[in-house]
Amino acid sequence: MLSWLRRIKETRRRVLVEDALKYLHKCDWEGTASTTASVGEALGVSPSKAQLLWQQLQAQGLVEISGDHLHITPLGESLALQVIRAHRLWEKYLVDEARVPLADVHAMADRREHNRNPEAMSVLDASMGYPATDPHGDPIPTAEGVLSQTDSVPLTHWAIDRPARIVHLEDEPVAIFAQIVAAGVYLGQRIKVIESTPKRIVFTDHQETYVLAPIVAGNVFLVASEPMGREAPLPRLTTLELGASAKVQGLDGTLQGYTRRRLLDLGLTKGAQITAEYRSFLGDPVAYRVRGSLIALRQDQAQHVLISTNENQEQNHV
Amino acid sequence: MSEPTNPVDALLDRAQDLRQTLGGNFRDELVEAIYTDAQAIADRASVKSDSGRLDFDQRIDRLLTAPMLGLPLMLLMLGGVFWLTIAGANVPSQMLMSGLFWVEGAGSRLFEHLGAPWWLTGFVWHGVYRALAWVIAVMLPPMAIFFPMFTMLEDLGYLPRVAFNLDRLFSKAGAHGKQVLTMSMGFGCNAAGVIACRTIDSPRERLIAILTNNFVPCNGRWPTLILLATVFIAAAFPPEVASVAAAGSVAMVAVIGVLFTLVLSAILSRTVLKGTPSAFTLELPPYRRPSVVRILYTSLIDRTMFVLWRAIVFSAPAGGLIWLLANITISGHSLAFYLTDWLDPLGHAIGLDGVIVLAFFIAIPANEIVVPTILMLYLGNTMMTEELSSSSSWRSLFVGEHDWTLLTAVNLMLFSLLHNPCSTTIYTMWKETGSAKWTAFGALMPLAVGLVVTFTIAQVWYLFT
Repeated sequence: MLSWLRRIKETRRRVLVEDALKYLHKCDWEGTASTTASVGEALGVSPSKAQLLWQQLQAQGLVEISGDHLHITPLGESLALQVIRAHRLWEKYLVDEARVPLADVHAMADRREHNRNPEAMSVLDASMGYPATDPHGDPIPTAEGVLSQTDSVPLTHWAIDRPARIVHLEDEPVAIFAQIVAAGVYLGQRIKVIESTPKRIVFTDHQETYVLAPIVAGNVFLVASEPMGREAPLPRLTTLELGASAKVQGLDGTLQGYTRRRLLDLGLTKGAQITAEYRSFLGDPVAYRVRGSLIALRQDQAQHVLISTNENQEQNHV
Repeated sequence: MSEPTNPVDALLDRAQDLRQTLGGNFRDELVEAIYTDAQAIADRASVKSDSGRLDFDQRIDRLLTAPMLGLPLMLLMLGGVFWLTIAGANVPSQMLMSGLFWVEGAGSRLFEHLGAPWWLTGFVWHGVYRALAWVIAVMLPPMAIFFPMFTMLEDLGYLPRVAFNLDRLFSKAGAHGKQVLTMSMGFGCNAAGVIACRTIDSPRERLIAILTNNFVPCNGRWPTLILLATVFIAAAFPPEVASVAAAGSVAMVAVIGVLFTLVLSAILSRTVLKGTPSAFTLELPPYRRPSVVRILYTSLIDRTMFVLWRAIVFSAPAGGLIWLLANITISGHSLAFYLTDWLDPLGHAIGLDGVIVLAFFIAIPANEIVVPTILMLYLGNTMMTEELSSSSSWRSLFVGEHDWTLLTAVNLMLFSLLHNPCSTTIYTMWKETGSAKWTAFGALMPLAVGLVVTFTIAQVWYLFT
């Protein structure tokens, strides 16, 4: 019983240390100054407790204190990166593999990041194919502790008509992030800004058109990309009539992780011929014939499959 | 970053840098390239024949998934499987029972002949062995009929069509379409159903399927349901339709089980196992002639023997325990008497009685011994019995001597449907999830549901009578 209590206390202390290091790392990364007062406040600990924490961190060689300012040491930095790595890998796993809603994963990963074991993290990393970024577009530190940085520009500062790719969706504040997710904007999306005024930002991915308030758009970050080639939106597989055929043009970008791999593995790749055969009597799913086999897809998956119906070409072919 | 000191580090760094430049779509391109190559090779090497077979398959599929016909056909098909199992298992069960009980008689006589003390003979033959014999006799024939038929439907390609038909309901519940298949497997045996959940790839939905599998009654619970339906429900109908009424009420319990599966799946997927349904990409294979050898092998070796073995391992100690409870006496009463007395208030609160509750406790290792245990405790016999033959003698025992009402019958049927899984299933859950926490949850959640349901019904009943 006593050892159990002690273990809980130790875990709590470790979590606090790791949270402090994470915060210091973030300040360093963003180039903001961190003082004993600001960090204590961010972690929500009382000044007296914070004082003890700094002493402990200093004694372990994780931070250096000069006056009011805290500096993270290389040792502290590497520990912070390990925690961040665990956090972002968990986020990636929860979103892509466990299909947890994007808005919920941050809190879940916050709990899991402290139970990190470098080997287990490496296994998780490898199982997902060494993802470069988490679901918000933040880079995942490698096992060696390398954190790469990309320079991105907020959507509000992007020029009209210049092709871009979304590389980062800021997850704080939560309310704004929820709006980004609700709008259907996703990471890796290739877009073009149509209209940018202080009132609203309008952009398109040539499939849908999106309208965001500047305060929301300011949390969407872009890099330059090649132009997309096509301009007209493609129909979705859900629009295919029973008995009709079409050619698969690809899967849209909102579909990620396990589900995307599964559909690709079934042969729903660009150029594949697909025929809608029949519908379940409850209305969903629909059975499609693709590459000679019959596959049932639910509507919420079929809507991510983009197709082209070119009947003339079809007839020439047959 | 420090300068790399040797070629390997330089190479790794280079790989790391290149990884950052990979577009997000490289997987798509890779799969696409593989498929393009495969397609080219296949086109070169194969000649497509006329699609006559395809038309045949399509016609069957249209029939089986047609709005007006699909559902009745499906119910008929599954109902037929259940009926064949129930009807076909009866005779072999009786034969096995008399054969195995003859061995018991011979064994105990041999022990007596060798001068073994009475308690050893009783414990070994009338306790442990009798429970084993009972479980084998009750479980083996239905499983040996149900599993091959089930495997045949699977092999034919029909089961994926069932999943296709019912998917909408399961998708609304946030569950995986394949849960229809694991659930149907649970009608045979919940432990086998839990094992079948391996085919669900998404961990979240696999867990939902595992945790809710116990809501459909397995073979071990059918005898209880059928007995009660015959004794209480069929008795209320004229003899010509009695058997249909009994079968109908058993089928209704099965449907209630499916409803609970859906409701609990929906609750789980909105609370503790929150998430959106993963890709349901069910392949609907072409119909094919089932391979008899394969069917017999998978159904008899993989499923029947596997499940039976676990049931045997768990029911042997239970048999010993029943014997001990009935034969250890303190000041003139057996231990079983004190326990039922103590459990009576709980039993009454949920519309049952102490004997039935104790029987469910003892039957945790194997649900098929619920009814024999109840009988043993009622009759005051010191071993499990099956001496009652006609349904009228059952009725006079339950209603006449132990005050059973319609409430007792209904709640016993419901509690038989909604209670903790047997220890075989619990053990399987633990093997499959690897988590003590989820196993405990999977064991206690159905019990809690059952207690709430039976308690509510009992209290409403008491209010009006």
